[in-house]
Amino acid sequence: MTTHVPGDALVSLNAVNKHYGQLHVLKDINLQVRKGEVVVVIGPSGSGKSTLCRAINRLETIEDGTISIDGKVLPEEGKALAQLRADVGMVFQSFNLFAHKTILENVTLGPIKVKGVSKGEADKDAMALLERVGVGHQAPKLPAQLSGGQQQRVAIARALAMKPKVMLFDEPTSALDPEMINEVLDVMVQLAKEGMTMIVVTHEMGFARKAADRVVFMADGQIVEDATPEEFFTNPKSDRAKDFLSKLLTH
Amino acid sequence: MDVIIENLPLYWEGFLRTLFLSAVSGVIALVLGTLLAAARVSPVAALRGFSTVYVEVLRNTPLTIAFFFAAIVLPRLGVKFEQFEIAAIIALSTYTAAFIAEAVRSGVNSVPVGQAEAARSIGMGFGQVLSLIILPQALRTVIPPLINILIALVKNSSVAGAFFVLELFGYGRQLANANGDAVITVLLGTAFFYLLLTVPLGILASTVERKVAIAR
Repeated sequence: MTTHVPGDALVSLNAVNKHYGQLHVLKDINLQVRKGEVVVVIGPSGSGKSTLCRAINRLETIEDGTISIDGKVLPEEGKALAQLRADVGMVFQSFNLFAHKTILENVTLGPIKVKGVSKGEADKDAMALLERVGVGHQAPKLPAQLSGGQQQRVAIARALAMKPKVMLFDEPTSALDPEMINEVLDVMVQLAKEGMTMIVVTHEMGFARKAADRVVFMADGQIVEDATPEEFFTNPKSDRAKDFLSKLLTH
Repeated sequence: MDVIIENLPLYWEGFLRTLFLSAVSGVIALVLGTLLAAARVSPVAALRGFSTVYVEVLRNTPLTIAFFFAAIVLPRLGVKFEQFEIAAIIALSTYTAAFIAEAVRSGVNSVPVGQAEAARSIGMGFGQVLSLIILPQALRTVIPPLINILIALVKNSSVAGAFFVLELFGYGRQLANANGDAVITVLLGTAFFYLLLTVPLGILASTVERKVAIAR
């Protein structure tokens, strides 16, 4: 099998398959994401969209197919994998800030320990990032002292501190109170405008319309549609997508 | 009472020996136990296997057997020590490490898996994830069981008294033999000095626990 990666594809998934026991969660997935592109992955729960997102930095292993980042196929384990992960920012549904570290330390830990940046420089960069996501004044606090929305913005800053080539968002607003969703989405929209390559698994259709270059619709472990937001929301081709959208609109 | 007051210097001597035995064995056991726990969760199958066998064997056999091995079998294998005290430290620390390993492992399992995932996502390797993210959180949650194990260690160190190490229990036994008319008083005195070590440990446990608790 050839693992040809198109020259401009930053993230490339080729014929990726994964099972959880009997359940076939990823079925022959092919997806290319170009540099600077914002791809929003939507679909009903259990469709495999989170698994897809997590497979891109190998938090989930895959059984066959290849995933490559910037032309390099994901290594199986060890140092090479760690290095590649450093280039891929990840934001989780449950924030996962390091509970025993301050907000500032959460952001500086990666640059200092993984990249060997000096503490002074890491602190300076981290403060700039925290200011950018609007939580600069929270720097000395512990994660549990912040609201969910603030924690998620810190998590975004933590990922950005590694200067990643691509950012993965795994349902970043699903664990948030409604009034905190927008503060996180605003940061993400800003990031998209600045040209960050992003793969976003979300239920926020507003974000998909506003910031996505492409919408990927998944159901039952397959990519069913891959279209521009305009096309997808106004003229979905598959019955599965039509059904999914109709359920969203009724509420 | 007189027998205790008259022999205070002996009691004190024994108390210091017990303190020394427990402190040295405790530190070694904490380090060894943490390493064993780390091996138990490592991606290397051989390390996991070694740690599992070690813990199961030492946790499930009597301390006296560990003492016999350290005091009698090891010297026959060519490991000679000047004093039996070294054998006592080897036996106490290897035995206690098995319990520490299990406590730390339960602590590691109590840290939400997302913490490790987040650490891996920013490019940390296994060693960094464990030492910077998981263990600092795990150890804080297992302080009460760890102190329980250390209290047990202090009491277990009395077994050394039967292996020619003159610690608190060893002196207590000597005194009991020498004062046949006041055995109960002598033993109460011995118990008092053990309490002097173990009760503060218990108090320390609750203080430290409150101090280092992690809010989630």
